[in-house]
Amino acid sequence: MGIMDTDRTLPANRLVFEVRRDRKLLDRFANDLEGLMTEYGLSEAEKKAFREIDLKVLADLGLHPYFLPQVSRLFKGTGYNHNESAAARLYASKMLNPGKP
Amino acid sequence: MAEIVSVLALAHAPGATGWLDKAPRHEQDAIISGYAEMRNRLAATKPDVIVGIANDHLLNFHPANVPDWCVGTSDHWEGPAEWFRDWVNVPHYEVAGNSGLGRTIVRESGKRGFNLAFSDKLLFDDNWSVPLHFLTPDHDVPLVPIHMNCVLPPMPSTARCYEFGKVLADVVRAWPEKKRVAIMATGGLSHDPGGPKYFGVDEPFDRGFLALLNEGNPQKVLREVTAERMIAAGDGGTIELLAWFVAMGAAGKRKADTAFYVPSVPLRCGMGGVTWDMGTDGAG
Repeated sequence: MGIMDTDRTLPANRLVFEVRRDRKLLDRFANDLEGLMTEYGLSEAEKKAFREIDLKVLADLGLHPYFLPQVSRLFKGTGYNHNESAAARLYASKMLNPGKP
Repeated sequence: MAEIVSVLALAHAPGATGWLDKAPRHEQDAIISGYAEMRNRLAATKPDVIVGIANDHLLNFHPANVPDWCVGTSDHWEGPAEWFRDWVNVPHYEVAGNSGLGRTIVRESGKRGFNLAFSDKLLFDDNWSVPLHFLTPDHDVPLVPIHMNCVLPPMPSTARCYEFGKVLADVVRAWPEKKRVAIMATGGLSHDPGGPKYFGVDEPFDRGFLALLNEGNPQKVLREVTAERMIAAGDGGTIELLAWFVAMGAAGKRKADTAFYVPSVPLRCGMGGVTWDMGTDGAG
């Protein structure tokens, strides 16, 4: 699992790519994630992974590695992203210790 | 004709501006003084314009259509892009571009077999915001940004990057303006954003890579530092060193001089920078 395993055609890659570039889409990510995911044609597996913030599944589906911590920042905030930040801890809990609470 | 007065390469990790206080004091000091050394070396060459080469972190090009290189052809740039502003923790800034040089690079590289995309709209994240913050804090040196694909397969090969650096240097030197030009690659060293080594760095790889650059033997670097080796040392982060291969091509067979290196786990990156002494410029 890494950059060589990225599925460029995965709808989730397009969604994350565009959300970070567009304030309106960013607001919808926060307030209408379901509608946004449907609009972008995400599969049920992708939708479930976003609902559960299951980064490991998103990685397995082919989301680019860069987007994994970025998804954690979309949910937990972007600023002061040190190793103990909420976003970094979310990434660690999902990717390094998957399955643990 | 233009002159290439300096070639440099350095890390751009956002922790340097975003959460440097989380690193131990000795790391903070070494990183700050390292960037200051890079700033002094660049300033000593009195550049009129910087041609930058850096990874596009999947910010400007839709995954359906990603160019190997895209030259910024605007006379005006600004950053950081909105969503990245808090993350890099760099205030909004504006910096001039140079459309004449940008368009020349696109046009003349095309004649040499490089199909470069170009755009007058590019979003900046840490790739320029961090290096400019430390090296040209007043943002008073115009920038021609060249965004490149280091992370979405297929990327250009190390040999292709090196060759592009040679062509870039030729094209810049043939630009019929009497300007002093710096070529600056940003990215690396070892790090792994979103990958299994996200919370680590590969210090042996970094030190080996820097030692190779110090030898001034590009062919040896090309033999020993493959894309696979870089990916093994940090997947989507370390492979940003492809931009350094462009710089190495522009510098020719000169020896790189390491200004600083700090393997910083709190910053999740091998932080470092090198310069190549261009002396009296001529084809290297």
